[in-house]
Amino acid sequence: MPECIELTPMDNSKSPESTQKADTMVESTLTTKSDGVPLYPGEVVCVALLKDVTYLCPYMGALTGRLVVTNYKLYFYQGTTEQYTRCIVEVPLCTISRIEKVGGVTTSSRNPDGRNPYGLEMFCKDIRVLRFVMRQENRQRKTIHDKLQELSFPASNKLPFFACLFKEEYAEDKNGWTTYSAKTEYQRLGMPIEGWRYTKHNSKYELCDTYPHLLVVPAAASDDDLKQVAQFRSRGRIPVLSWIHPESQATITRCAQPLVGISGKKSRDDERYIQLILDANPHAHKLLIFDARPQANAVANVARGGGYEKADVYTSSELFFCDIHNIHVMRESLRKLQDACLLAHPNDDKHWLSNLEQTQWLHHSKVILAAATRIADRIESGKASVLVHCSDGWDRTAQLTSLSMIMLDSYYRTLEGFMVLIEKEWLSFGHKFAQRIGHGDKNHSDSERSPVFLQFIDCVWQITQQFPTAFEFNEQFLILILDHLYSCLYGTFLYNSERERKKEDLRKKTKSLWSLVMSLRDDYLNALYVSAYQNHVLLPIAAVRHLDFWAGYYARWNPKMKMQEPIQERHKELLKIRDHLRKKVEELERQLAAKQNASSPALTIPQDAAALSV
Amino acid sequence: MEFSEFIQTPKVEDAFLEVENGTVPVTACLTGHHLILYSHNGENKEYWILHKNVDSVEKRYSVEKNLLVLKCKDFTQHQITIPTADDATNIANSIETLSSLNNPALQYPFFHRPKFTFDEDGYDLFCTEHRFASLSKMSDQWRISNINLHFSVCNSYPSQVIVPKDISNEMIVKSAKFRYGGRFPILSYLHTNGRVVMRCGQPLTGQNQKRCKEDEKLINIVLGSTHRGYILDTRTTQAALQARSKGGGFETEFNYPQWRKFHNSLQKYSIQQESFVRIVEACQDRNASSDRWQSKLESSNWLSHVKDVLSAACLVAQCVDREGASVLVHGSEGTDSTLLVTSLTQVILDPYCRTIRGFLCLIDMEWVQAGHPFADRCFHGAQSNQRTRSEGPTFTLFLDCVHQLLQQFPLSFEFSALLLIHLHRHAYASGFGTFLCNNEMERRKFKVRTKTVSLWSYLLSVNVLPMFLNPLYQTRPGVIWPSVAPQSLKLWDGLFLKDIDPSPEVQRIVSESISYMEDLQNQISELTKEISLLEREEETTSPLLQNGQNQAIDCQNSA
Repeated sequence: MPECIELTPMDNSKSPESTQKADTMVESTLTTKSDGVPLYPGEVVCVALLKDVTYLCPYMGALTGRLVVTNYKLYFYQGTTEQYTRCIVEVPLCTISRIEKVGGVTTSSRNPDGRNPYGLEMFCKDIRVLRFVMRQENRQRKTIHDKLQELSFPASNKLPFFACLFKEEYAEDKNGWTTYSAKTEYQRLGMPIEGWRYTKHNSKYELCDTYPHLLVVPAAASDDDLKQVAQFRSRGRIPVLSWIHPESQATITRCAQPLVGISGKKSRDDERYIQLILDANPHAHKLLIFDARPQANAVANVARGGGYEKADVYTSSELFFCDIHNIHVMRESLRKLQDACLLAHPNDDKHWLSNLEQTQWLHHSKVILAAATRIADRIESGKASVLVHCSDGWDRTAQLTSLSMIMLDSYYRTLEGFMVLIEKEWLSFGHKFAQRIGHGDKNHSDSERSPVFLQFIDCVWQITQQFPTAFEFNEQFLILILDHLYSCLYGTFLYNSERERKKEDLRKKTKSLWSLVMSLRDDYLNALYVSAYQNHVLLPIAAVRHLDFWAGYYARWNPKMKMQEPIQERHKELLKIRDHLRKKVEELERQLAAKQNASSPALTIPQDAAALSV
Repeated sequence: MEFSEFIQTPKVEDAFLEVENGTVPVTACLTGHHLILYSHNGENKEYWILHKNVDSVEKRYSVEKNLLVLKCKDFTQHQITIPTADDATNIANSIETLSSLNNPALQYPFFHRPKFTFDEDGYDLFCTEHRFASLSKMSDQWRISNINLHFSVCNSYPSQVIVPKDISNEMIVKSAKFRYGGRFPILSYLHTNGRVVMRCGQPLTGQNQKRCKEDEKLINIVLGSTHRGYILDTRTTQAALQARSKGGGFETEFNYPQWRKFHNSLQKYSIQQESFVRIVEACQDRNASSDRWQSKLESSNWLSHVKDVLSAACLVAQCVDREGASVLVHGSEGTDSTLLVTSLTQVILDPYCRTIRGFLCLIDMEWVQAGHPFADRCFHGAQSNQRTRSEGPTFTLFLDCVHQLLQQFPLSFEFSALLLIHLHRHAYASGFGTFLCNNEMERRKFKVRTKTVSLWSYLLSVNVLPMFLNPLYQTRPGVIWPSVAPQSLKLWDGLFLKDIDPSPEVQRIVSESISYMEDLQNQISELTKEISLLEREEETTSPLLQNGQNQAIDCQNSA
């Protein structure tokens, strides 16, 4: 079997400075170097525990090495300064969701083999479970444990995120914070468009504090109307424009549920507003409302003051329930998937597929993709306008709008477009990343946590599998996004809304993940991308049999699961050679032209040479 | 015998064929080997459906229409509406009869005159002599034996086999009597380190645990006096013990002290066939909701056969390559599981087997000539309801395992998955003679070599070969160690789920990109030529431009 035991995810950041001696168990005083441990600018070693630590790798067995904790990551490696060092585990501290002392006095029955060695166990958001064994003397464990508790949960401990300490410099033209501008994106969509207008009514977030500052709304609705509609929509999340079809003017709009309640409240303003959205599309007779929830949940919400658009009230619309379950169901599904991936029991090998089925993860992905595909299809072939909402309109709604936009608009399938899509549909429209991920928060069992965004990325990956040539970015790009969703190395995913991010001044204090992406653009390009797909609408087949378990992400910690041959590298290599050859041809053509100009007019240009130009 | 005896309705007008986007009016004609559908909607297309490829004909009659659903062995499906129920029934019956004729002489390859030109005759390409010539460069311990020239020692072996040099023909005859089906131990593969893989049938020890000194000598001589070897019995210990009561058995440690034995748990072809039926059923069932898809996949057990076979092959490869030990492989008959393991081991160990030519050679030597009973195993497919008990998907299972390797090592194979899909199709129904009959003896009897064309001639012909090339292939030496973790093994969509398979498109794009690069390369040499031509002209007129010339040369070097 392959000998490589490199368990770290690919980190493509520049290799940081390195190497100086550190003694056993030093609470280091802001030294910026440590032997064998690569450090980011701004990263310092906090606890260096040399030797005698054993990592119980679930796949390779016990590995002995050195453990280091910096203010950004936990780093476990083998080897010494002089020799080649091999990193076994590298995990950003913010990726850890729970740390437990195991063995010794504090007993736990987690260890399957009955023995229960003394050490620490860590549960990570990227579904790893790390277990370290250490000696009982010297109070090593306490030191490490206390430090980890402090640094892994900066939000709970009133400490800054590492993103604020991270001092990496990116070139000015690679500044990721400039990737997205709401105005530019709406202009790309064709604004100004008849029937729609910008509103600055939310520029101070007073209309809706989880919405972006700039909104596009039906032109016929006055700012006063908006205020009235906001009263009737959960959290003031009124229907606003997400996407518009360049030819048919069919639109995707998004919002939160109407506040119908038990008393069956109505809002003439809301009804009129819905009519205006429909009227903006000359081809449509009915507005299609996709309620992402199962019908039962929508009904249950009535009792809590929410509800859905009843057909007798909203006569010009048609309502569909998409049957996507809530954040708690998805959290449970991922937890099961995590268990299944561990293959903890010898029999799990045989039952991998049925275990996978029981997690329901792919089933949930199917339901989401089916709804998104349906939306895309109704817009493209039915020229219908679609309004999407769930309860609050920041989880399932974001999944549906962004997935159908990927299917409809090839721009979102480019590297830049995908970053814009995340900035727009997820970040600016208030998907509560801080709550859903629990950035720096020690309350690991918080019921607000949920893998909604992961599920979206998984669905995108599923589409890339069915259309491997339609996307400009590759699988590494998706994995990078997920890794930094948890790492808190970049400011991109911190906090819950545009308002909070602005208040925290993240653009000044932190770097954007997109700066990294733009600096290393080539690494994230898909060699199979063909722009011939540009005007295609992708309608993936949403059936479990055509969905795959994303082994490249979920099973990547198992060294045996690594892609055995670097096909990505080969693709990249081919791209490089191609570009090189192209440049070469251009250069030679220039040379030839220059020569021909310089030489005597008696020499005629051969026809072939001109025809060859690319 | 005339085919017309079986054709009750030779021609039906006003039939309809269902195609991707609607139906096409067609005239249906039955011939001895094909159902031919001529379309009338202006394009005058012809659809030829080989009877042999039809696995089952389902009759769905209703008041509106008489629908025939032809389910094919390559997992395609054709739906044809016939105007009258009588004609439909006649056609269905004729196809069913014609598709299950078992006289080899009536098979299509004997009537097929392919219209392509080929430089090499596939029947001459891979023979024991060629093989021996190349391996004798590595070892002088082997010889070709003609003892089986008339198939009298073993009727399922080819006429020539490679055996240890110092073993006499008399000893071979005695060993053959001690082995199932006369399949005495012969050389299957010689590794670069001099260790070998041999294969044979089970020893006929029976309840009394008989022994055969000649058989012991035959295999011991391979080890010399110092080395130890392994015997891989593809059956479980229990199955091997049971075999004793039927006269079979296994090598005891006592009689073969230099060999360590281990058992694997590969299932018999009949059990594999059941899995095959279940997985095809699950994949073909498009109407059913996809709920419980993974459970269905799992309970078919197909992927666990794939895993078992790959694991067994890895084990043998490990013994040979890592431990430097020779291995003898057998199951019961030595014509199914045994060949799966020995052939896959070679794909893992030998880079030559990952080239197109090498792979076809492997199939020819380790499957066709080795006496895998293709005619029996591939008589009916997974969807037939008239199965005999001798069908087995052994060869398809082998192709699936190779496909798993190809997925994990996308750069190491000269051929693409398309070749594997074609091999599956031809093993079940073909116009070529390669997979006809059960063994060489039968093939000689029916004069397959002279009366049919080899599939290899076709696959290796200049116009066809490029279709199967893997554009990403790089020659890579050495062993490939696959992962057999359950998460690494995937259902082979391209074969089983035909409706979406982006891989041909991916391959097309990579090929295009590579040929574009070749174009660029050509342009570069053209341009460089142009430039140096100009420069030579200039040199005579103005020597000042010397500098520019150097630059051009630099560029050339860095390319």
